[in-house]
Amino acid sequence: MQQPAFDESSYKLFDVSWDAPMDTISGLTEWSRDINSVYAITTVITIFVFFAVAIPLIWTLVKFKSKGDEQTPPKQFHGNTTLEILWTVIPVVLLLFIAVPTWRILFKHAHTPEGAMQVDVIGHQWWWEFRYPQNGNIITANELHLPENTPVVFRVWSADVIHGFWVPKFGGKMDANPTAMEEDGITPKRWSVLNIVTPSVADANKKGGEMYQGQCTQLCGPSHALMRFNTVVHSKDEFESWAKTANTPPAVETTLAKAGEQVFARCQACHAITGTPSEQIPGPKIGPNLTNFGNRKYLGAGTRLNTMENLAAWLRDPASIKQGSLMPNLGLTEEEIQQVSSYVRLSTTKTY
Amino acid sequence: MAKNLPKTGLISWLTTVDHKRIGIMYALGSLFFLIVGGIDAILMRTQLMVPNSTFLSGETYNGLVTMHGTTMIFLVIMPLSAAFFNYLVPLQIGAPDVAFPRLNALSFWIWLFGSLLLNTSYLVQQVPSVGWFAYANLTQKQFNPTHSVDFWILGVQVVGLASLIASINFFVTIVNMRAKGMTLLKMPLFVWTTLVTQVLLFLSLPVITVALVMISFDRTFGTGFFNPGLGGQVVMWQHLFWIFGHPEVYILILPAMGIVSEILATFARKPLFGYTVMVYSSCAIGFLGFAVWAHHMFTTGLGPWATALFSAATMLIAVPTGVKIFNWISTLWGGQIRFTTASLFAISFVAMFTFGGLSGIMHSSPVIDTQHQASYFVVAHFHYVLYGGAVMGLFGGIYYWFPKVTGRMMNEFIGKTQFWLYMIGFNLTFFPMHFLGLEGMPRRIYTYAGDQNWNFWNLCATLGAYITAVGGALFFINMLYSMIWGAKASADPWDGRTLEWSIASPPPEYNFAKLPEVSQLDDWWYKKYTHDGKRLTPPQQPVVDISSIHLPNQSFWPIFLAGGITMIATGFVVSANGVMISLIGVALTVASTYGWAYEEP
Repeated sequence: MQQPAFDESSYKLFDVSWDAPMDTISGLTEWSRDINSVYAITTVITIFVFFAVAIPLIWTLVKFKSKGDEQTPPKQFHGNTTLEILWTVIPVVLLLFIAVPTWRILFKHAHTPEGAMQVDVIGHQWWWEFRYPQNGNIITANELHLPENTPVVFRVWSADVIHGFWVPKFGGKMDANPTAMEEDGITPKRWSVLNIVTPSVADANKKGGEMYQGQCTQLCGPSHALMRFNTVVHSKDEFESWAKTANTPPAVETTLAKAGEQVFARCQACHAITGTPSEQIPGPKIGPNLTNFGNRKYLGAGTRLNTMENLAAWLRDPASIKQGSLMPNLGLTEEEIQQVSSYVRLSTTKTY
Repeated sequence: MAKNLPKTGLISWLTTVDHKRIGIMYALGSLFFLIVGGIDAILMRTQLMVPNSTFLSGETYNGLVTMHGTTMIFLVIMPLSAAFFNYLVPLQIGAPDVAFPRLNALSFWIWLFGSLLLNTSYLVQQVPSVGWFAYANLTQKQFNPTHSVDFWILGVQVVGLASLIASINFFVTIVNMRAKGMTLLKMPLFVWTTLVTQVLLFLSLPVITVALVMISFDRTFGTGFFNPGLGGQVVMWQHLFWIFGHPEVYILILPAMGIVSEILATFARKPLFGYTVMVYSSCAIGFLGFAVWAHHMFTTGLGPWATALFSAATMLIAVPTGVKIFNWISTLWGGQIRFTTASLFAISFVAMFTFGGLSGIMHSSPVIDTQHQASYFVVAHFHYVLYGGAVMGLFGGIYYWFPKVTGRMMNEFIGKTQFWLYMIGFNLTFFPMHFLGLEGMPRRIYTYAGDQNWNFWNLCATLGAYITAVGGALFFINMLYSMIWGAKASADPWDGRTLEWSIASPPPEYNFAKLPEVSQLDDWWYKKYTHDGKRLTPPQQPVVDISSIHLPNQSFWPIFLAGGITMIATGFVVSANGVMISLIGVALTVASTYGWAYEEP
């Protein structure tokens, strides 16, 4: 039985403002502002051309409408060389105004700046994995945390089929292509590169929201639409503290959580949690890393709020929420669901 | 066996080699699939009308996305264009038939059987759901274990074969069979755009044919062309697909451009403005169409140099296209414009196509494209070009030539009502999609959350789709109504300019009692009017002994051969006895080819 994909949210029919969660207009990074500068030029030129076509067309239609009583056909003329040269040359000139800034910006953002922080982005059916090789090998899923005002180079690839990595407010997208792997099964042989400089936290406040939404942009199977993620920009200190938490094993204290730890043994073939036996199982994990899961705002790749109820619904039957999900229905009892939810949602500190 | 076959009834249609009958069958077939593809669209828009809808599942929606695209391109616009090629090219160049009449019948039957094969996937509930572009490696067996992808591969393969065969046929026809005196630059523009289209077809179809064989091999025999795990390259599929896929866009639009050129000239009662430049622009568009494929791949990480060069080539295509638009407006300038349904559709083509062209210029810039790519902005763009453009142009063509084909006029009141419903519905559906794209709505998502500011525009788009559906229903009502009760059409009801208007409506089986001779562009017009507009009495078709005109014999072999080829393909989409079915197909193919070769022509 299929369920609605997202939490019931406040449905506002007439909210059509440009400041949408995924709008491409209110860019926050240099990359997105540069894109919008070319977009602005192009928009002006195309609007000009639109009127240069529409006005003559409408005028012609009005002026030369047949009266229905013409005795002789109109003058049969075949062309006008001057005019035809004119409307060949003018478009070429207009196009140069688009082409030159396009190429300038294309090459400007093609190079990775010195000392950029590396983040690996890996698409999976249907969730996102983020790795931080320079920050203690943090592995997380569906929530991308970044320090402010920092050059970042995303190395993008896919573990299965083609996905598309896109945070509209950060600028243009990059495909995540599947690739052959090195012997270890974790290191890719090829990847694509996307360079950005993260916005400052002040910008985040201005744009009303701590999270920048992203979404997969390549058709990747039945649950393509449910492959979202969120990006959180921190001050540098806050990012450090998030990174520390992300590498801290859970402190299991309550009996409920302790029981949940036992249940989780059935999950650890696919899911890892830092500092637990789940890490010892060799080979790549096919499910998201669940370290610090309680700290995440959403579950199911940015589709539902991370609440006990939503988690329980997910555990009861993943495929009813995400068609084609690789996670099977494990047949957990309601009690086990409570226990394991309590365990994976443990969180020491709220870091944002 | 070919002699003495009946001239009327079912057998006569199954064995016909008459280009006019084949054209009519192409038209009816593609209009049937227009309904199928339209229902796909209505279902998708119903799902997206409100956020968080559970009307369709993700897999079903993806199936509709795939079948809508594949149907509209391969089973509607291409064969409907082929219907016009078939019916009109011999008439416009003053020929008795196409160069290879039996090959022409073969094309049609292969197209029909291939289309049916593709649509069989609905009946066995294995609908392809990988998009009409079928990007690797989602098409691998690992990710799509059922035969759904095989249906797509084999359906497109067979349908593509039909176009490939037809392209050779029409190329030869246009080059070799023009009336005496009709030099290349005296051909009607529709014949020119047809010629360029055939060149695009036979240069681009082999590429997709090979690529489809490669995924067939990946899926059926376990090769690894597109499987990264076996050292394959997923981006290679994108190159191969778009080397075909971009010329394909021009294959879809060029015939409509030709049709619109004919309609505007007729209803302005003036020659096409800048005819020679229009010809050169069509050739330039066809040529440049092969140099821009990677603009579909600006986000695959090609590197800045390749990206810059492909963007330059893409922008360049805007120049010949822009020239055409201004030439169409100038064709109307100084004319006596009659607003019929046909001319309204043709004028709307110019307006809608311009709009789609302008949004196309926007994402010819790869930096802008990284934001627009795979968003609803692109959906808006190509529907303005292919629906507002190609399909509107083809509708204009149907209204324009319906009297020639059936001998009856289409009803203008229903026609104009349909036109305005289409204009309103179309723009209400697709204009808001620009906004959706700018607000970040990705393509091909089966549902969305309610807090994304996408609700209002999606609702508008769905309402627009329903309005369009009413317009579509009116079109079919109009066709039926006019076929039965339409006013009788004269030979030349629109005061046309090209040769098809010089013969009766509908034309006799042999087309021209005496093959025409041509001395200038728009020769038929100048048989009716002097250069300063005085009326002349046009020559009548001479009365001749019909038995003295040689016509090619009817034949059963084309339909048998098409059946054999389709059976070979069918073997790949069934699990049990697939090899047997393919082998029977091979036997039928060989036998039919043999019979064909020894048949008296």
